[in-house]
Amino acid sequence: MNFRRLTVLSALTVLGIYAALIASLAYFFDRTAVAGALTSERILFSIQLSLVASTVATGLAMVIAIPAAYALSRHRFFGREVVDAILEFPIIVSPAALGAILLIFFNTPVGEWVQTHLIRFVFAFAGIVLAQFVTILGIAVRFMRAAFDEVPEEYERVARTLGATPVRAFVTVTLPLARRGLIASGVLAWAKAMGEFGATITIAGTMAMRTETLPIAIFMRLSGADIEGTVALILVLLVIGLSALYGARYFLRDRHHA
Amino acid sequence: MDRTFFTTLTVCLLFFSLLGGAEASASGRLLIYAGAASKPPTDDAVRRFEEKTGIKTEVIFGGSGYVLAQMKLAREGDLYFPGSSDYMEKAKRDGDVVAGTERIIVYLVSAINVQKGNPRQILGLRDLIRPGITVAIANPEGVCVGTYAIEIIENQFSPEEKQAFRRNLLNYTASCEKTATAISLKQVDAVIGWGVFNHWDPARIETIPLKPSEIVRVGYIPIAVSRFTQNRKLAESFIEFLTSEEGRAIFARHHYFAKPEEAFSWLGATKPVGGEYAVPAEWLKK
Repeated sequence: MNFRRLTVLSALTVLGIYAALIASLAYFFDRTAVAGALTSERILFSIQLSLVASTVATGLAMVIAIPAAYALSRHRFFGREVVDAILEFPIIVSPAALGAILLIFFNTPVGEWVQTHLIRFVFAFAGIVLAQFVTILGIAVRFMRAAFDEVPEEYERVARTLGATPVRAFVTVTLPLARRGLIASGVLAWAKAMGEFGATITIAGTMAMRTETLPIAIFMRLSGADIEGTVALILVLLVIGLSALYGARYFLRDRHHA
Repeated sequence: MDRTFFTTLTVCLLFFSLLGGAEASASGRLLIYAGAASKPPTDDAVRRFEEKTGIKTEVIFGGSGYVLAQMKLAREGDLYFPGSSDYMEKAKRDGDVVAGTERIIVYLVSAINVQKGNPRQILGLRDLIRPGITVAIANPEGVCVGTYAIEIIENQFSPEEKQAFRRNLLNYTASCEKTATAISLKQVDAVIGWGVFNHWDPARIETIPLKPSEIVRVGYIPIAVSRFTQNRKLAESFIEFLTSEEGRAIFARHHYFAKPEEAFSWLGATKPVGGEYAVPAEWLKK
């Protein structure tokens, strides 16, 4: 077996592993359960809630992640290494621990003040957004930094020598060149937010028609020992997530070739 | 086919044979699917059982319904140990436990749990509908203590009082432990949980007993041999240990009631024990 065949085999193995897992859902597939899920007010609410919360969380994360990633890519500053190292914090501590940390934070005087005077996060919609935001912020910065790293600094320097301000050079040169990477990072962050479960359930609870996101709805179906219902909701989440990712990829490829 | 291919194949076969070996060596082990309602004493009991018998015992804790689904999907496990009778009835109906092996281990009584020192002065069930009080209960869809809470609310509150309760009800928690944690971490002012919650975290949780008339039934924690067990004798030996003097002493140390009479005495009345309750649809929007 030559090297090419070995690498292609590895790629197909990745497909095979995930395809086998998805295909296994057919074992408990129940058309009535799927139809019931798609017409259920509760599930439609969960879908809407998941879409809105993950979009808001991703938008907020992008606002911080883009300049932060640019700073890490371009500048040397005090604490840079620490910032770079802490980006993996949400991955290291696990989602459930992250949710616990958020709850503990809201037990401190600062957290209590925020909850009392600004906005309630615990058991509320804002808690879902916060859980997703904290989960994706680090990886969004990491991916976006890679996107900026791919744009040679040379171009910005040329723009500066032609009289552009740092902001103008960033907006007119670096940002358009890094655009594809930034959008791809945003889409990945969104997908991660959409599937977030551990931190969300810990801080936001599980009540239907209030804070029950699609992943929590899946967990609750399984908690009721309703396996067919669980499979139906997994399929709904899969279709939404994969459609969004495929759509984004198609959009990026289309724009790239235009 | 060259050497690289055969090397890859050998590594894969070795990996899967090691997995198989791990499963085979697990035959002298016990795997228990348990509701989180009995976590503190069950952890102690398992430790003692392992010391006495040398049998490695693993426990998967979670919501009673969730662990039942896990056991069915994994098609393995030696014992099912839910947090109340409701899910054991379902397991029996579906044939997921071996008929005739069910034994009651301890009894539980519903109660209100508040923060230590009771800062919001919650003295009874009707204080939970006072404006400004925040409440949580366990999700009645998969967590038994939530089912008991709904049963109490449905029995005691008028439609207007239920509305007021719903206004104060911030959310459902995902498990028995998270219901207790909601008080420990001051997520809400009160929960309707189990009377034993204050012993789980004595520094932060206080239990306010409900009036005897407000309690509909006394819960119990049963255990039964799973239909997936490969070693029924071993599974039954764990049940025997839990029902022995030593096992009961462990649960008593954690303030669980060993006999229904102890629960009745704490409550001040005799009540029906166990059974099932169908949660009204309005609490479980489908």
